[in-house]
Amino acid sequence: MIPISYNVRSLFVRKATTIATAFGIALVVFVLASSQMLSRGVQRTLGKSGSAINGFVMRKGADTEMSSAIETPKVNLILAAPGVRKDKSGKPMGVGEIVMVLALEKPGTAGQVSNVQLRGVPDDVLAFRKDVHIVEGRPAKPGTDEVIIGKRLRGQFIGLEVGHSFEVKKNRRATVVGVFESQGSSHESEIWCDIDLVRTAFGREGMVSSVSVTLESESKFEVFKAAMEHDKQLGLQALRESAYYEKQSEGTAKLVSFLGGAIVFFFSIGATIGAMITMYAAVSHRKREVGTLRALGFSRITILSSFLLEALLLALIGGGVGAAASLGMSFVHFSMMNMASWSEITFSFDPAPEILIRAVVIGGLMGVVGGLLPAIRASRTSAVEAMRE
Amino acid sequence: MNLASIAVKNTRRNLFRTVLTVVGVAVAMLAFLLLRTVLSSWTAGVEYSAKDRVATRHKVTFVMWLPKRYVDDVRAMDGVKAASWFNWFGGHIVGKEDQFFANIATDPKSFFDVYDEVALPADQKQHWLEDRRGAIVGSALARQFGWKVGDKVTLEGTIYPGLWEFNIDGVYTATRKSIDQSSFFFNWEYMNEGAPAPAKEQIGWIITKVPNPAQAAGLTKRIDQLFDVRDIQTLSMSERALNTSFLGMISTLLKAMEIVSVVILLIMMLILGNTIAMGVRERTHEYGVLRAIGFMPKHVSSFVLGEATCIGLFGGVAGVALAVPLINQGVGRFMEENFSGFFPYFRVATSDALIALGLSVVLALVAATIPAYQASKLHVVDALRRVG
Repeated sequence: MIPISYNVRSLFVRKATTIATAFGIALVVFVLASSQMLSRGVQRTLGKSGSAINGFVMRKGADTEMSSAIETPKVNLILAAPGVRKDKSGKPMGVGEIVMVLALEKPGTAGQVSNVQLRGVPDDVLAFRKDVHIVEGRPAKPGTDEVIIGKRLRGQFIGLEVGHSFEVKKNRRATVVGVFESQGSSHESEIWCDIDLVRTAFGREGMVSSVSVTLESESKFEVFKAAMEHDKQLGLQALRESAYYEKQSEGTAKLVSFLGGAIVFFFSIGATIGAMITMYAAVSHRKREVGTLRALGFSRITILSSFLLEALLLALIGGGVGAAASLGMSFVHFSMMNMASWSEITFSFDPAPEILIRAVVIGGLMGVVGGLLPAIRASRTSAVEAMRE
Repeated sequence: MNLASIAVKNTRRNLFRTVLTVVGVAVAMLAFLLLRTVLSSWTAGVEYSAKDRVATRHKVTFVMWLPKRYVDDVRAMDGVKAASWFNWFGGHIVGKEDQFFANIATDPKSFFDVYDEVALPADQKQHWLEDRRGAIVGSALARQFGWKVGDKVTLEGTIYPGLWEFNIDGVYTATRKSIDQSSFFFNWEYMNEGAPAPAKEQIGWIITKVPNPAQAAGLTKRIDQLFDVRDIQTLSMSERALNTSFLGMISTLLKAMEIVSVVILLIMMLILGNTIAMGVRERTHEYGVLRAIGFMPKHVSSFVLGEATCIGLFGGVAGVALAVPLINQGVGRFMEENFSGFFPYFRVATSDALIALGLSVVLALVAATIPAYQASKLHVVDALRRVG
């Protein structure tokens, strides 16, 4: 076995080349890790909005809350269904909500508007959604035009600050009285207001978009679903709330992963070629050394593995740098149009150990692939010829 | 022997490395051209879009509806030649939920007044006008699903609940590239009858035709002013802007592509710079000899730069030679057939090809600057003393 320190020193001798090659690989690992972190961030942001113990009811056939509509009388029917948990006073735990989209102006853009989701919620919503906490101001008074906003919306749009107001429709303004957080879920990119405000402002009297209920246990979902979908006249469909939000994130998450994958494909060809060039140069440069090693009795396979190890080392340096840089992305938040709701949601890059490990492994793989042919050439060096040069 | 021939000869010194580098540059240029072509054909699509049409939708999003009477209000305005209305149906074929296609409700009578480039055989057109459940489909879409005139198609509504059965009355083509051939248009009346109460007499957007394109901008403003005092405000825009809004994230996507196309160039420079630096290091001794026999530093650096230019040029030419047939015959055909509404002309623009060639040379020179400078600064004695 040739000591690893030999390879490490060899990499140091050719600093510029090592840095250039490692940087190429770092770039690939960075893009790969970042795109997967973003894809995961999208899934987590939307995934956190729903819980597996909650049932979620929409009109049959609707694929988003936006396109669903349920008449109010059906809400009580849904709440009375088997499997729905009741609170101490015997009241079923569930809420009917209505969503709409508002176009609000972004600050400092001279009139450029973007869409925000507006959710009309019943009075007892904060008792139902226990992960939602007011972090500033106070809850909105029921039956008024007061609203609370998710913390990620703060300052993103004109009027979205505590004490400020914005137009819900022509000549009807709503005032922000509080800011809430909900553990990074997509609710943090929403405005919550009284359900009747949305109904009257958008002509949706007597309607809700969806009904969420808390189940007695996760396993009660099938019972609940059967009760919802048994009567075809009702025209309802039930999902687990977590499954609904997972489906909402699918398109965006897939697109991000696909784009990242396509970029990584082209980048990795370049980086692998870079590694190959570097390793070929290293081999031809050290031909005499290799000849000496052969003469000393090191076997071909030892020399092959030594050069492969060197290539791997080179790639891992790059991979480590790339992965470390991608960790920096976890401080970045950015708003993106969510295709399912036609409104903006703020996502963040969500690092996970398996993403970083996978990216570094792929980086290492590029080193091995790029280093294989040069290593084979090195192992074929004839001791006599090499030392004669 | 002049500089050019020395540069070319030098690239053959380590032929294998040169080939690898050229491949690296070529792949980078291929990726660069692919991205540039998406970007420039997107921009070029504006040229082909109809400029004599104005689209009007709900101020917030096309997902929210306008009252149908707005169509009559628009028709009554000065300078309006024709107007028709549309609803995004959002249906899918049961069992093929993931195969997305645009299915849109419209008024067949006024449809042809605004979309005069839609070509449909007279008998099919007549049939559609009379058939309440009738639909016409674009030729690309018909090919995709294997539909023929006379077929029955059932869609499940996501916005309008239930199963809806349609008769394919016609397969349309387009005489201009301003409408795509992968849409499914059907009779609005049929949808309106079966729609739930809040969705009745509600429309998604209005397309208005003006006698000449110069009047479009003025009308856009006047329509929004007309409805500004009403209960529901509108946002009018060019037809293309409306089409773009259907592709929710397109602007984010295009921006990402722009950034990536620049990063690709950076990778190319890394590969090239590495190769040149290696060559310089290996030939240090030789440059010492050159300097000793009277060549000036500028000669040495021009040898290095000349070699870099050659490799960059080879790579650029190879990249363009790969990209042009791949994009024009492969990817481009697919895009034009399936997304002609957005990419009416998906080809490598000559200017993009020239930019790619130019960049491969210029960036090669930039990448070689440091090695060339180092080579020119060598002291004769040091260089001669150095081994290897």
